[in-house]
Amino acid sequence: MTDETDAADRRRTRRRFLAIGGAAGVVGLAGCTAERTGDGENGGGSSAGDDGETGDGAGDDGSDGGSDDGSDGDDGAESDDDDDTPTLTVATYGSFIDAPSVSPGEWLKEEFESRVDATLEWATPDKEVNYYLERAASGAPIDADLYVGLNTEDLVRVDEELDDDLFVAAGDVDGADDVRDGLLFDPFDRAVPFDTGYVSLVYDGTETEAPETFEGLLADDHQGDLIAQNPGGSSTGRAFMLHTLHRFGDGPDGVVEGGDDDPDYDYLDYWAELQANDVRVLGSWDDAYTSWSEGEAPMVVSYSTDQVFADMEGANLEEHQIRFPNDQAYATPEGMAIFADADTPDLAREFMSFMLEPDVQGEIAERNVSFPATDDAELPDGYAELAQEPADPVTFTYDQLQGSLDGWITDWERQFAGN
Amino acid sequence: MAATVAVLVAVFYYPVGTVLVESVVVDGVVTLGVFVELLRDPFYFGELARLFAGENPLAVARALASPDRRLGIVGFTAYQAGLSTVASVALGVPAAYLLARFEFPGRRTIRSLTIVPFVLPSIMVAVGYVATFGRNGTLNAVLTGLGLPTVELMFTLEAIVIAHAFYNAPLVARVTTAAWESVDASAVETARSLGAGPVRAFVDVVAPQVYPAVLMGAALTFVFTFGTFPIVLALGGFELATVEVFIYRLVGDLNYAEAAALAVVELVISLSVLAAYLRYEAAQTVTSRGIRPLPRRSLFPPAPTVRELLPRLGLAVYVVVAALVFLAPIASMLLASVTGGDGGLTLDHYRFLLERQRTGAAFQVRPWPAVRNSLVFAAASALVALPMGVIVAVATTRQYRGRTLVAAVAMAPFAVSGILVGLGLLRGLVFGVEVAGWRIAVAGSAAVVAAHAVAGYPFVVRTVAPGLESLDRSLVESARSLGASRARVLRDVELPLVWPGVVAGAAFAVAISMGEFTATVVLAAGADAYTMPVAIERFIGRRLGPATAMGVVLLVVTGLSFVVIERLGGEYRGL
Repeated sequence: MTDETDAADRRRTRRRFLAIGGAAGVVGLAGCTAERTGDGENGGGSSAGDDGETGDGAGDDGSDGGSDDGSDGDDGAESDDDDDTPTLTVATYGSFIDAPSVSPGEWLKEEFESRVDATLEWATPDKEVNYYLERAASGAPIDADLYVGLNTEDLVRVDEELDDDLFVAAGDVDGADDVRDGLLFDPFDRAVPFDTGYVSLVYDGTETEAPETFEGLLADDHQGDLIAQNPGGSSTGRAFMLHTLHRFGDGPDGVVEGGDDDPDYDYLDYWAELQANDVRVLGSWDDAYTSWSEGEAPMVVSYSTDQVFADMEGANLEEHQIRFPNDQAYATPEGMAIFADADTPDLAREFMSFMLEPDVQGEIAERNVSFPATDDAELPDGYAELAQEPADPVTFTYDQLQGSLDGWITDWERQFAGN
Repeated sequence: MAATVAVLVAVFYYPVGTVLVESVVVDGVVTLGVFVELLRDPFYFGELARLFAGENPLAVARALASPDRRLGIVGFTAYQAGLSTVASVALGVPAAYLLARFEFPGRRTIRSLTIVPFVLPSIMVAVGYVATFGRNGTLNAVLTGLGLPTVELMFTLEAIVIAHAFYNAPLVARVTTAAWESVDASAVETARSLGAGPVRAFVDVVAPQVYPAVLMGAALTFVFTFGTFPIVLALGGFELATVEVFIYRLVGDLNYAEAAALAVVELVISLSVLAAYLRYEAAQTVTSRGIRPLPRRSLFPPAPTVRELLPRLGLAVYVVVAALVFLAPIASMLLASVTGGDGGLTLDHYRFLLERQRTGAAFQVRPWPAVRNSLVFAAASALVALPMGVIVAVATTRQYRGRTLVAAVAMAPFAVSGILVGLGLLRGLVFGVEVAGWRIAVAGSAAVVAAHAVAGYPFVVRTVAPGLESLDRSLVESARSLGASRARVLRDVELPLVWPGVVAGAAFAVAISMGEFTATVVLAAGADAYTMPVAIERFIGRRLGPATAMGVVLLVVTGLSFVVIERLGGEYRGL
């Protein structure tokens, strides 16, 4: 700074020195992809909505955008591959394809590819369906054909956040008629259920006897006995909170009349008492199940299929008992739906039909440790003994959740964490 | 410089900016309404919200002084961060004393391994803590064995504070050890020869050189624990939810305006703490550090006297506490990785890793690619973070107006909500931006490396800047007057003199990269760029075994890496 005699070439030396440092940053460009958008050349572009909804997406993109194999666009194949086998990209949540115990992903891919002339590719973004919701909200193209693992709350959120459709109506899917009544959760027929589960209480029978009713959880001898999950961050936690809301309603001015015949006593009143009885609300199912497994409390909010896993591990089933409070459990059906932006909607529909076939339904139930969505599923003998279903499954419909869910969770958070 | 700024803008300031701006731009209109509503919400700000709502400050002060005051989520978050900072300093400084002032077998290895807690994913720490401090944990087993009453630590504020100390006390220990080692022995000897007793010499000579390091460790601990997230809900419960928990929820609901506003509040508080520290550091003019370090004493003196035994007795007590806080959870994790469903010992979980490696489908996460990617990304991101950190350190140790502000802003990657950084990277890089009809998107290995470098470079700044600050300016000026360019001076004069800090910074950059999860999982599109923490998350299931086995792999790989780095880097100072 004091010396102005620095020659220009020395400056250049310095710049080169610094450029070496930044080299890896420049390498970042190697991870760049550039894609032509919005000029009508490519059917899968960002102009969402005007190509998928009429179901013609598979036919009209013979010219392939020029970015990969533009010279090879001969017969209208939708695939990025060099051969003619079309590719179906199926988005789902991580544990559907890659759980440490069992997951259906691998079997489904092999089986689908053996039955249909297509390649199945899995996509498991960490944010799950929110990833696609955020892509759509940002105007980025959707790079998958269908999503497997949607629930009612997801659909409500998608429809509240987006003006355009993220998913389209499933249309004519073989086997959809076999889906059990009461599982169909999408009033616009986009999501087709492929399995279901029930959130219930799991308890260690050698330590306690779980109460038969919600009110029983407030008893002195169950103080500090229950571990639940945060409804704002965990799907089991949310299902359990919704179950209490189903039971106790959301107050005299609310929209849900509880099953307890007391309009003045709502779910927040129940949770206040539950909190006074030292319920533990942890962040995720993992947190809760870990603490429960280590004996921090004898009861945990979890799935009614718990004994299936316990049996696989050779654990003592007495320590893995299921209780349905008031003989009820909150049902959590999972659906699959085709993206409005899908390159191959017909193939996606074919995949949906495949998912509903009796033998596939049985495999999904077994490998995803859940219950089949159809009434003609082929289940192994003895499966029903370990995987328990409640006498009275309860759930909220799309219409009930719409406009209310967010407020219910916020009110719960503000009461529970207010300090 | 330009490259550094480019990397920072591309993978940090631009993506984060696009999210934060949502707090003031709602539906295309610039507004402060979101902030006003937030600041006046007692749920977040407790009694202070009344101040923001225009109430009489005296009335608010009275309310704050009353026992049934409301802290609000923000207040509680600061409160637990303060407690965690105190605990981390209390557990970190004795470790620094032990490591800086005593000689014993394995000292250097233990010093290298102090960085290991930094890389452990919170789920692993949670597993270790439940097994150690839980109802049926190691601590209670020991207490029962001694005939003492058991303690209920789980789901309390104490559990969170101890877990935060697990992560951050080693950080305090590292900075403080480095400062202690660089106290000049001759200054102490001069003080003693002038008649000062050992206590006086410590207070007047040693302590002033150690304080700044302790404060730096404390400031960083506060910032890290202020932004804490999964560990709070894993060990404490929702009653103890922090700001970050609500940012996570709001982002999940796509309520970006409120999430961004909360993140700005978090950022302002964290940056204020860092800026306050930086002002203090700048005011400290400790020159000529570490010409001749104080000699280490043997931990086991040949002829014990009371004067020598007392501090060692204190250290013995400390070692027992440290073993419980640091070693027991890690040991519990090791144990969990070899415990089967029936409670017996088994190697099944490691067999699972081998099996997954051998037969896992291409789309599944396999252990070896995770290990390989982690090592490659760590090395690459350290290579990027080092020049970035050195350049920013040079830029912030020059004298000009507002440099504290520049220095504080350069620390922003420490202070911005991790959840928002992830969201920004997703929307800004993975989804891409549209430029002249082309959508430019960035993902994959190179982006992961850049993101890790950005997360790690502030450590390099903090390890290098104090050294540069205390360099004798006349060295630089003489070199310049002899015709050396600015770059030449940096390379030939300044860098060699602060080399120990550079090595220490590299160690931290590697640690950050090894442990990073949020940005990695966003940018590692597909299954080809995942790292060990991502693999651990994938292997979490109903059984703890597979994930803990992968956790042990992470532990061993990082532990070995640090021993190697610090052996290669030589004896150093800095962090």
